Formats: sequence, structure tokens, C-alpha cells
Amino acid sequence: MLSSFFFLAAAEDGADAGKAIALALGIGLGSLGAGIGIGNIFGSMIQAVARQPELRGELTGIQWLGFALTEAVVFYGLIGGLLAYVLI
Amino acid sequence: MKRLAATLFALALVLPASAFAQDAAEETDFDPAHEWEFKTWGPELKIGPIDMSINKAVAYLMLGTIVSIVVGLVFMRVRIGRGPTRRQAVGETIYEVAQVQVAEQGLPTKAIGRWFPYVATLMIFIWVINMLGFIPLPLSDERWEIGGIRVPTLAIFAATSTLSVTLALALMTFVFTHVEGIRENGFVRYFKSWIPDVPKAMLPLIVPLEILGQFMRLISLSIRLYANMLAGHMLILTFIGLIFVLENVFLAVIAVPAATAFYLFEVVIVVSIQAYIFAALSAIYIGSAIEPEH
Repeated sequence: MLSSFFFLAAAEDGADAGKAIALALGIGLGSLGAGIGIGNIFGSMIQAVARQPELRGELTGIQWLGFALTEAVVFYGLIGGLLAYVLI
Repeated sequence: MKRLAATLFALALVLPASAFAQDAAEETDFDPAHEWEFKTWGPELKIGPIDMSINKAVAYLMLGTIVSIVVGLVFMRVRIGRGPTRRQAVGETIYEVAQVQVAEQGLPTKAIGRWFPYVATLMIFIWVINMLGFIPLPLSDERWEIGGIRVPTLAIFAATSTLSVTLALALMTFVFTHVEGIRENGFVRYFKSWIPDVPKAMLPLIVPLEILGQFMRLISLSIRLYANMLAGHMLILTFIGLIFVLENVFLAVIAVPAATAFYLFEVVIVVSIQAYIFAALSAIYIGSAIEPEH
């Protein structure tokens, strides 16, 4: 069961290798964008709290909302890549 | 007592590893696509085209339903005594998060009474299912033998890492959003509120985008939860699996701490955040349908 998560290791011919590279590149570039976005959110949060510490409670909810919305972008890439890998 | 519990918990975490080892030895031929298939447990129950038979995801959902009902009963039905008990404090914290962070953030004041139960239920239910996904339970499709009896291996699996489950939850929010919008504003006024305030020449471009956006909500809501839980489990299993795939025990020095770190990250942050996000976004969507901006 476990090794099912190692499709990459199972790539034998050229087409499989190409799909593996595409999957890895897609997820990698996707997480690049999401990483920048998440960094932005937490950076802005720190600035906001430093300026007005009394707003911390209200800002936390918005911060996590933004975090989850940004983070989800990676997973759209992941699901798209997995679909392409498994189905095509 | 605490130390004993911690030791038992650590042992429970070790158990699945041995099961995986056994499993890897048995299995020779393998297709990753099979990982997404579910074996039917017991008899097949088909009502017309609808498949009602029980599989792993259904079992987890049933268990999750029972646990969330118990959680609700235990923490919300507290007899108020002289001082606040611990149970009451936990219950009030859950209630406050659902009330202040989720319901009041998205829903207009007049709709809180009607939709608070829905969003609070969503939050607790998704949290419980996500959490069950990180506790090793003997509910997997694989079997191994202990003393001649074939028992299911302990495995981690979250029902929310199946797209059908999250899509059903998202579909519920989607339907409720439009039903509530039409009921509150009337059919014509509600769909008119979808048309934004732009110059007339732009309308043929903007309106299809708006309509597409309504359906994108459905997709993003379901894929977010699904992919988060799936990726969490895949990360943990990938690191543990490195030991078995590369067949090197010494990799455990790196793999086990890394897997533990991801496990803790998932349990502490992702599980709660995803439950909160799903409930909060449902509240925001329903709220925006009740009181359109335009």
C-alpha cells in the first residue's frame, strides 16, 4: 500500500518520466506562489499587531482565513497534477 | 498515569508500521490508482443507481457522526453548578469560536438564529472527522493475522480525504446559499444582485464570470478540504514509506522525526483550521446571499 505513494520511483519509460517531471514542476511552482502569499499574510499580520496590539483578537480570524485560502492554491495544483498523472 | 498513556500512545503509533511491513511483503504488483478505490464491506446494497453499500469511508463517516453527537452532548449539556467545571469551559470555548469567529463573521444578525446551528454543526463534524483521520484505527481494507485471526490493520485515513464526502458537504452549502438567497430577496432580486455595477458594454463579459464564480465556490470549497487532508496523509506516509521503498533501516533516523513533525503540524494546525475555514466560508456565502451588496 505504502509504495503506491512512490509513483515517481515506478516511472520506467519516457512518458512516465515526463509525467513525473510535470507533476513535480507543477507542485513546486505552485508552492512557490503560495509560499510568497503566506509569507505576505503573516508579515502583514505582524505589522498590524505591532501598530495596534488591541486588534489582535479580531485580526486572528481574518489571518487564518487568508492563510487557508492561500494555502489551498497549492492543492489545486497537486490535485490537477495527480489527475493528469493517474488518468492520462 | 500520564506517562503510561503517553507510552501506550507511542506504541499505538508504532503498530501500523509493522502492519505496513507485512503488507509490503505480500504485495508485489501495484498500481497507484488502486489506492483511490474502496472495497465494499459485507453485502452490496444497491437502490436503483445509488450504491448504498458500506466501505471504509462510510464506516469512518458513521463513526464520526457518533463521535460528534457524543461531543455535542458531553460538552454542551453541562449542569451549571457553583463554579465553572472544566467540561463547561471547553464547551463554552467551542461555542464561542462557533459564535464569534464563524457565525458573526459571515452571517447578518437576523440570520444567526437560523443558520448558527448549521455552521456550528459543520465545524464540529468536520473537526471530528479530520481528527479521526489522524488516530490509527483498525478500519482499513488490508488484513493481517494475529494468532490466526485476520484483523484489519491499524491505519490512518480521513473520510474527508475522499472527494465525494467533501463535495457532498460543499453541495449542501451551495444549495442552502441559493435557497436562502431566493427566499430572503425574492427570485428576481436575488439573481439581479449577481449582476455587478459596471458599464453596460462590459456586462456580457462580467456576467458569465460571476455565474462561473458561483460554481467555482463549490469546487474550491470541496477541493480545499479534500486536498489538504489527502496531502497531509500522503506526506506522513511518504516519509515512513521511504524506509520500506529504499529498504534502509537507517533512513528511520530522518524519516520518523520528519513524519512526526508533519503529523503534529497536521493535528495541531491543519485539522482545526480546515474545519474553521469550511464553516466560516459557508457562513460567509450564506450571509452574502441573504444580504447582497448591490
